[in-house]
Amino acid sequence: MFKQISALTKLNIRSIPQRWGMSLATVFSVALVVLVLMAFLAMANGFRATLSGSGSTEVAVMLRKGAQAELNSGVSLAQLRLIREAPGIARNADGNSIVSGELYVIVDGLKRTTMTDVNLPLRGVEPDALVLRQGLKITHGHMFSSGSNELIVGEAILREFAGFDLGSEVRLGTATWKVVGVFSTGGTVFESEIWADAGSIQSLYQRGSGYQSVRAKLDGADGLKALQDWAENEPTLDLDIITEKEFFSSQASGITNIILYMGWPLAIIMAFGALAGAWNTMYASVEARTREIATLRAIGFAGFAAFVSTLVEALLLAFVGGLVGSMIAWLVFNGISASTLGGNFTQVVFAFEVTGEAVQSGIVMALIIGLLGGIIPSIRAARVPLLSVHSG
Amino acid sequence: MNDFTLVLKNLFRKKLRAILLLFSILSAFLIFGALGSFYKVFTAGVEVAAADRLIAVNKINFTVSLPLAYVNRVRSIEGVRNASHASWFGGYYQDPRKQVQTFAIEADTYLEAYSELVMPDEQRKAFMETRDCLLTGADLVDQYGWKLGDTVPINSNIWQKRDGSSVWEFTICAIFDGDKETVPANYLMFHYDYYNEDLAFNRDQAGWIILNSANPAMNDDISKQIDALFANSRAETKTSTESAFNKAFLKQMGNIGLILSSVIGAAFATILMIVGTTMVMAVSERTKEIAVMKTLGFRTGRIFRMVLSESLLLALLGGLIGLGIAWALVDLAIGPALAGFLPGMGMTADVALIAIGLMLALGLITGILPALKAMNVTIVDALSKN
Repeated sequence: MFKQISALTKLNIRSIPQRWGMSLATVFSVALVVLVLMAFLAMANGFRATLSGSGSTEVAVMLRKGAQAELNSGVSLAQLRLIREAPGIARNADGNSIVSGELYVIVDGLKRTTMTDVNLPLRGVEPDALVLRQGLKITHGHMFSSGSNELIVGEAILREFAGFDLGSEVRLGTATWKVVGVFSTGGTVFESEIWADAGSIQSLYQRGSGYQSVRAKLDGADGLKALQDWAENEPTLDLDIITEKEFFSSQASGITNIILYMGWPLAIIMAFGALAGAWNTMYASVEARTREIATLRAIGFAGFAAFVSTLVEALLLAFVGGLVGSMIAWLVFNGISASTLGGNFTQVVFAFEVTGEAVQSGIVMALIIGLLGGIIPSIRAARVPLLSVHSG
Repeated sequence: MNDFTLVLKNLFRKKLRAILLLFSILSAFLIFGALGSFYKVFTAGVEVAAADRLIAVNKINFTVSLPLAYVNRVRSIEGVRNASHASWFGGYYQDPRKQVQTFAIEADTYLEAYSELVMPDEQRKAFMETRDCLLTGADLVDQYGWKLGDTVPINSNIWQKRDGSSVWEFTICAIFDGDKETVPANYLMFHYDYYNEDLAFNRDQAGWIILNSANPAMNDDISKQIDALFANSRAETKTSTESAFNKAFLKQMGNIGLILSSVIGAAFATILMIVGTTMVMAVSERTKEIAVMKTLGFRTGRIFRMVLSESLLLALLGGLIGLGIAWALVDLAIGPALAGFLPGMGMTADVALIAIGLMLALGLITGILPALKAMNVTIVDALSKN
């Protein structure tokens, strides 16, 4: 039986060039379906990776209750002072707790690809902010000096938006600010931010002594619990306290889900279209070989061998399509830098990521198209009546 | 038997093949109909923008507020017919994760600026006279099951009252709707004064200024005058037309237009290949028949038209079914589900018209080659085969 199957399959595949038009149409239509799916998956994965890679489990983020985002939140100086003495927070060599009171405001930037205004986050930070972001490095220029109108910008800002190049001057309100440094955090969302001294931002935005969020380094695994329990009993602290990791993953899910909810249904509808094409192609294949199959049956080949060989042809065409689609997706989309409006109402720069998992999904989808498109024609191939020897 | 019957018979000669092709065409038009409608409603803000309406925002960014006193200074500029202001409230009802767009507005001037917002006269009067009135969008009334006279607490995720709370109590005394389907009515408005007087911080600030020019031709000039007026002050302004402002905001999301058109392009490339190759094959199977028809005296023009009609019929049949499903999906399922987020989603006439244009184009493109081939069949060659 295996001999029969392999002989027939070889025969079948060699005859594909006789139907090259329809076969190519099948390969390319499957490739396009896979390409569309991969584009959406790459977008969703890239966005998710940027945000979820940003949060640390060792850092707590504190926002006013119900604020959801740093932009809406407010924390007073008195609250910040209280937090500095709180339990559960790690301390540095000098015995001071590692805490940064931060402000989060939005400034206009110019997106390079469209030359239109976009919202960019301007974060006011205290010195401990540098310790609170793992892997932060100043790659060009230097850190801003405290109390000055100096800015440092993330590498993604530099890449995607105009107006914040190193050394350039930016006018905000009545003051002129200078970009003195560029920093990298290894691809996290902080690279889409502009940083300045918290005090300078307070006076620019007339925030008095107020902050918007507080970040603190947690003291070991129990730190968060200790901090939360303590805050619970402080009547003047009306704060939501979560880990930074949790904070960013809640922001990632909204947009990632929108992309996936769009991408999958679109790819599936397209897959149905391609399925019809594959089915047609396989029917044509069986039809063209009716006489040949009947002859083979007459000399003793089993119907099952004809079934398998036809199905293998369908799967092969679909597989090649899936491979071509994945390859094009990888070549074209992988690493593309894009930006969109994130949960904090500011631009998040991310890179498309064609993951192995996505390629797998694409190939599986292609094979399903091949299987469903090939199965009925294959059954027909198995049932070619012997008398068809005389047809044609 | 007329030519049309013959075309129909030819098309469905192999029933399964025809059905599969129809299915394939249907899928592309389903995608086109659904995405086209989505894009339409997504960009509706640009289309409903009035030509004489301008928006002045803080130059730093539109989320940064402006001093309230600016509104009167803008009013004094020549050519400004009406000026109003609005502030973002960051509102939510019960669940902080479910935001409701809520604006604090200067009522009379705002409703004059947005004349497309309509409501019964007595409700308009009630809104003007009731300090704590919540002017509620008709879509939200449906979504939350509210009715006139209800008292609703709206929380702010930004602002606080001096007593430390962030809840404002309102009475629904007016319900507005747009005068057209495309005008969104999925947000809330209330009197600026009612909120401003209780604010713990950021009092006497306006989120942004809306103004109407006496004549759209003066838009540019007015924008420049406003921005010059506030240049070098603590809060500089950036003034643009409403449509330019909305367009720029949509661009912040990313190039949605490019993404959608690429998907539609891929869907159409797929069916072009599938339908195209199948039509070529279907006609070449019939070479002998065509030769017989020619022998019987069918003119080449007639044969050409018949093959082309077949592909056009196929494209129109599949396309219209696909468009019909897209309509049902968009108008009956997705539209209502997204009403709170993208109101007024439905298939518009122009999306349907473009789709019909695409059906004709698809029919012509996939039919032209087989039709030419059929036309050029020579009787002798075709009948002498085999």
